[in-house]
Amino acid sequence: MSSKATFALFLIIGLLVTLALIAAPVVYAISLSFYTMDSFVADPEWIGLANYARVLSTGAFWNALGNGLVYSISTILLQVVIGIGMALVLNQAFPGRNLVRGLSILPYLLPTVVIVLTFKWMVDGSIGILTKAIAALGLPPIHWFESPQAAMASSVMVSVWLWTPFVTTAFLAGLQTVPTSLYEAAKVDGTNAIQRFYHITLPMLKPVLTVVVLLRAVWTFNKFDVIWLLTGGGPVGSTEHLAILSYTTAFTKFDIGGGATIATLSFLFLAISVFIYFRIFPLDEEES
Amino acid sequence: MTRSLFGRLALYLTAIVIAIYSAFPVYWMIVSSTRAPQAMFSSSSLWPGPFTGEYYSNLLELTDYPAQFINSLTVALITVVVTMFFSVIIAYAVTRQRIRGKKVIVASMLYAYMFPPLLIAIPMYTFFTRIGLGDTLTSLVAAHLTMTLPLGVWFLWGFFKNMPFELEEAAMVDGCTRLGAFLRVVLPLSLPGLLTVAIFSFLLSWTDYTFALIMIGSDANKTVPVGLASMIGSFDLRWGEIMAGSTLIALPLFGAFALLSQYFIQGMSAGAVKG
Repeated sequence: MSSKATFALFLIIGLLVTLALIAAPVVYAISLSFYTMDSFVADPEWIGLANYARVLSTGAFWNALGNGLVYSISTILLQVVIGIGMALVLNQAFPGRNLVRGLSILPYLLPTVVIVLTFKWMVDGSIGILTKAIAALGLPPIHWFESPQAAMASSVMVSVWLWTPFVTTAFLAGLQTVPTSLYEAAKVDGTNAIQRFYHITLPMLKPVLTVVVLLRAVWTFNKFDVIWLLTGGGPVGSTEHLAILSYTTAFTKFDIGGGATIATLSFLFLAISVFIYFRIFPLDEEES
Repeated sequence: MTRSLFGRLALYLTAIVIAIYSAFPVYWMIVSSTRAPQAMFSSSSLWPGPFTGEYYSNLLELTDYPAQFINSLTVALITVVVTMFFSVIIAYAVTRQRIRGKKVIVASMLYAYMFPPLLIAIPMYTFFTRIGLGDTLTSLVAAHLTMTLPLGVWFLWGFFKNMPFELEEAAMVDGCTRLGAFLRVVLPLSLPGLLTVAIFSFLLSWTDYTFALIMIGSDANKTVPVGLASMIGSFDLRWGEIMAGSTLIALPLFGAFALLSQYFIQGMSAGAVKG
């Protein structure tokens, strides 16, 4: 087979697979948002933009968008701060460093289900280890999921624990690319550790940070299972975000068009946000 | 670099806090899965024991767990093989040729990173239900490929870009065809990249809850994450069995990580990972 034919074959396979698995579902989802359908086998009926008008006029949509923003922004801020802190510590030399580095990645390897179940077990109302520890310290019991604020805080806490290793690992890899001579020169100039962090480490790692924050923001905003398993969106919709609203609309209320509409709007919102993000924090021109 | 005694102590202490913060829940999960029922209620000792194998034997003998484990394994292995096959081909074509059609692929893969899971799951479920393949492992593999394929293509794209063209050209001067050069020179040299893609595809598929919840309805076809999560919905909470089940899902991942940690870290640092 000639070189050209090999490439043509590869490219055709690539295009077909991409179209079938990536493009087709999304096009189908967007088209479903223009139809009404009350079961997955019913014949769809064209209703134009009626789903959009309906979804955008409900409080549930705006509530879910707001919750999603609160959840994503607090999760990202916390994991970036904790992740950078951990990376700075793990970049120092101390005995057993490789072991601690390995342990620090553990949360990222675990399935969400395992994390949520273990958390629920640890805070179990009567015999959870955290419940017992809190009682032993003489503190009042914490109701992790009962008030809107507590349920949101629990969701953020579990998510931060789960995703911090991503930030730590990326930042740690970045730290190793900063030339030590910069630090030595700064030290000769009489700077302290905090000044060196702000004037050398942070600027050098800005590209890494820009990408990490973007990736984490997108995935956190889209993440369904952590909150779904922890709170199911409750109490009274206080942790319901767009992914959960879209799921319940399509799969428990069997309003398939409505669910598709929410998913489409959610993607639209993300795409616009990412566009604005790149305007504010342009990536250094990489060849692509 | 010399540090004061105080500085060193603070460093060690922080390192210990990081280790406990990251590992305690995992440790506690394993301890709870082996602690005898009576002690679960009364003891608050942090040390393991008194031991029992009761939860594991209940889980394996009285529940659907073994069947679900096989389902998870089947789906994950098929996803890995299909992902590796297609992502190698696509990434190679995209890096080595300047042709039309390339842009469509690259842009789709980039956007795929941003797709809300429901934007994929709703149409996929509708499609598979309508063609009579609803609630099958096949439909779940298709859903998982929408996560793993973009990851594989992106990662291998970066990998192939850094591989000098001269290698294949030398092989072709020596009489290899393009396909021959690809199979005999490029593929063996890409082994580390392929391994990283395989690991992360497995991780994504094996740990997935969202797609499995939507695509699979019957108990017989459930994967472990969904099966385990439904145990918590039942009225009597059997924490011992739930923790035993959690430990068993996590173990293969820990094993893989212990053996292949450099590839995990490489993949995570490359930002190739979706979570």
